[in-house]
Amino acid sequence: MSKVYTGRDGVMQLADVTLAKVVSFSVQSDLETLETTTLGDGVRSYSPGVTGYSGNATLLYYKDDDDDINTTDLLNKLIKTGSDGVSSSDTVELTFRWADGTDNNDIKLTAYITSASLGAATGDIARAEISFQGTGAITTASIGS
Amino acid sequence: MAFPVLTPSARAFDSGDYPVKVYKAQSGSETRILYGDKRTNMKLQLTYANISDANAELFLDHYDEMKGSFTTFDLNSSAKGGWEGNADAIGAQDHGNNYRYEAPPQVTQVRPGISTVTVSLIGVL
Repeated sequence: MSKVYTGRDGVMQLADVTLAKVVSFSVQSDLETLETTTLGDGVRSYSPGVTGYSGNATLLYYKDDDDDINTTDLLNKLIKTGSDGVSSSDTVELTFRWADGTDNNDIKLTAYITSASLGAATGDIARAEISFQGTGAITTASIGS
Repeated sequence: MAFPVLTPSARAFDSGDYPVKVYKAQSGSETRILYGDKRTNMKLQLTYANISDANAELFLDHYDEMKGSFTTFDLNSSAKGGWEGNADAIGAQDHGNNYRYEAPPQVTQVRPGISTVTVSLIGVL
């Protein structure tokens, strides 16, 4: 059956667990192109380089009935105590899903959280905004059919 | 083995000079003596961006074949591709010169199977 996907169909998961109160997310794929134009050519030509993935997401800063905060495992990858900084093990497994009942269209990747911001404003709901940079190949890309 | 038949993506040419010796007096006056009638020392730098490793290897093989900077060789027309003036103007043969390698080819690998090669040549009599 035909379907137009909307924000209601969007799901964001961390380590295969659906995150609560996700306001928005965006995933971007980029291809680096290597120019192969030579002297005398009138039109540029390119060879494919490497691809990469990045994106961002906004979540409401939310504590559930068990006192667990939905953004903890995302923000903790970047906002942490100690002087060690971020290590190579500080990756997250993110899944971005466009669901149609049981038919899931997924992009799943491993990423580093490259920016995280958490704010509060009078008369507004506190939100956490994160950006991520994918590392390695995406493990699921079932968005084509 | 001939110089690889590939058109570069960038080319820089220095037209060299005639063999001139300059003597300068303390007064500042200058005396120049021309020791030859052939311009020499023209320099040609060719960049082949993002070519296949197989093509990059051709330059390494040619450099080896030429015994590095020892042997001179003719440059084919592909190396002058894109130049719409007289090919002699950026060549060396018209002045009795031939090119040899001034430095080893520089190969920079940019991704698997793709490399950028920079070749520096100098015209010698």
